[in-house]
Amino acid sequence: MTDPIVAEGLVKTYGGKVQAVKGVSFEVHTGEAYGFIGPNGAGKTTTVSMLSAGLRPTSGRAVIDGVEVAANPEEVKRRIGVVFQESTADGDLTGRENLEIAAGLYGISRREGKERASALLERMQIGDASERMAKTYSGGMRRRLELGVGLIHRPKILFLDEPTLGLDPQGRAGFWQFIQQLRKEEGLTVFVTTHYLDEADQYCDRIAIIDHGTIVATGTPTELKDKLGGDVVTLKTSTAQDVSETLRQVPGVLTVQRQDSSYRLKCSSGEVVVPLAVEACSKAGSLISTVSVKRPSLDEVFLEFTGREFREDEGPSATDKAILGARLQSMRGGRR
Amino acid sequence: MLREFSALTRRELLRLTRNPQSVFVGLLTPILYLLLFGQGFNLGSLSGSSAAGLQYALLGAPNYFSYFAAGMVGFVSVTASLFVGANVIFDKFFGIFKRTRGTPAPSAAVFGSRLIAGSVQPIGFAFLVLVLAILFAHIGGLSGLDVTASVGVVGAVEILLAIVLIAFMFVTLALTLGFLIDTPQTYFAAVNALNLPTLFTSDALYPWGTMPHWLQDIATYNPITLAVSVLRENMFGDSLYTYPPEVYLAGLAAWAAGMGIVAIILVRRALRPSN
Ligand SMILES: Nc1ncnc2c1ncn2[C@@H]1O[C@H](COP(=O)(O)OP(=O)(O)OP(=O)(O)O)[C@@H](O)[C@H]1O
Ligand SMILES: [Mg+2]
Repeated sequence: MTDPIVAEGLVKTYGGKVQAVKGVSFEVHTGEAYGFIGPNGAGKTTTVSMLSAGLRPTSGRAVIDGVEVAANPEEVKRRIGVVFQESTADGDLTGRENLEIAAGLYGISRREGKERASALLERMQIGDASERMAKTYSGGMRRRLELGVGLIHRPKILFLDEPTLGLDPQGRAGFWQFIQQLRKEEGLTVFVTTHYLDEADQYCDRIAIIDHGTIVATGTPTELKDKLGGDVVTLKTSTAQDVSETLRQVPGVLTVQRQDSSYRLKCSSGEVVVPLAVEACSKAGSLISTVSVKRPSLDEVFLEFTGREFREDEGPSATDKAILGARLQSMRGGRR
Repeated sequence: MLREFSALTRRELLRLTRNPQSVFVGLLTPILYLLLFGQGFNLGSLSGSSAAGLQYALLGAPNYFSYFAAGMVGFVSVTASLFVGANVIFDKFFGIFKRTRGTPAPSAAVFGSRLIAGSVQPIGFAFLVLVLAILFAHIGGLSGLDVTASVGVVGAVEILLAIVLIAFMFVTLALTLGFLIDTPQTYFAAVNALNLPTLFTSDALYPWGTMPHWLQDIATYNPITLAVSVLRENMFGDSLYTYPPEVYLAGLAAWAAGMGIVAIILVRRALRPSN
């Protein structure tokens, strides 16, 4: 059986300048939830657009449900549902009208469209607001309406580009609960980008981390966490004496980082290392005041691979600079 | 194709009903033109102008206002079609267009629905202008449209076709620009650069007889002139026209068809997956 989503060496260069995606390859299996995580500007939306026939790749190919995207974009659009990162509902129309018109866009009959719209409005818990203009909806309602629009033609493959952005914790949980239910009932294949790593950890079968247009790590959430080399033990000593070397000798400790009297140890198993480390320190004449053991979270995996907490912290990223350059260029070009 | 088309048309019409104030605002300009501009050129009051000379200058119309009222039909189809293209740009801006493009709806349905729904207002305005102009004739102190020839069924159908064709043509132009352009500023600049010269090289507003020969030569082939000629010849008689109205109608149809072909080529390209 062919995989529902196949990407082979996808490259996107905007305007011959900005290399947004630099050759990504992966396949998503039937029924899988595949998470695509990465910092702002990493190339997530660009990848989704190329897979969903919205954007032509500079090179490489995408195959959806066995259909070559470049050769037959219309057929691909018929088989997939997309929830875009930005809002696409018509604010001057009611939620119900938005859904009914979306149904028509897939060639669904008026009567069938009405039924599906009603069913989705109920499932999305839009209920009383169905007859209200969409511009009056709360953020959460809007996202649910977007999902409803993406599902109106009952696709088997769903692309979600930051679907839970701006939702409160209940909203996010509810959204995912609904997605999980659909996956179970209809064997939906889901490709999702998100900044919420806890969501990726909890709901995705496999994850790819993308940075600067390149996939830097892939695997199941557990595999990715294991790649960090197990647990992180943080120790604080009550004396100023440097015990880094002592700690490094402790069996099971992989690396030691020191900051003043704090030490961050990476080790395969926290339970084994802690008593040995305490003993080693006291032998060296240094007492330990606090100890904590942390299982790595996906956040730590993310930081490890993308190397920073927030993009903004280090000024404009390389891609941002490139795009600024391209803009200035085009402005100059326009005046000439 | 039909379902996609009707869903999209429904959307456009629903939006029209959600913004009735924009219709009233759009009506303000033609009403001001009828009420003030058209009243100001009282050519018959000029001393020394012979009745025959005036007849020639106005191509058989009994007075300037009657001549001008027919021209206003061309005028409103140009001005009322402006926003149809701008709406495409606003839909791009608000992501609505992205949703449409994410679906397999054929580009013919995307374009056709906007053409049909977008022509409702210009065509409606054209008829409103005619009705108002005729009513003015019955209000004391105002000039009105004085239909001096008898308009038969064929004439009425020709007038209707001329109004529909000129509206289609300018709505097609506005939509094509809307699909190709991404910012409202560029759009309005482009549309004005095309529409105003077209309007001012036609005989919609100036008396034909007062136009210099070079301008008459250009105006002869202008689509607005062609549409307005169909109206004037049917309403005021054919004695001063070289051709019967069917010829002007055919010329107008050729213009509309040409515009349609350009639109098909450009819009299909614009609707493909972007680069
Ligand atoms: N139309 C465009 N023209 C030029 N550059 C673009 C265009 N769209 C995106 N880019 C650039 O390509 C890079 C990748 O953008 P993309 O939107 O794919 O990132 P993303 O991972 O989705 O980010 P975010 O998390 O902020 O949504 C960015 O540097 C962005 O500025
Ligand atoms: Mg994005």
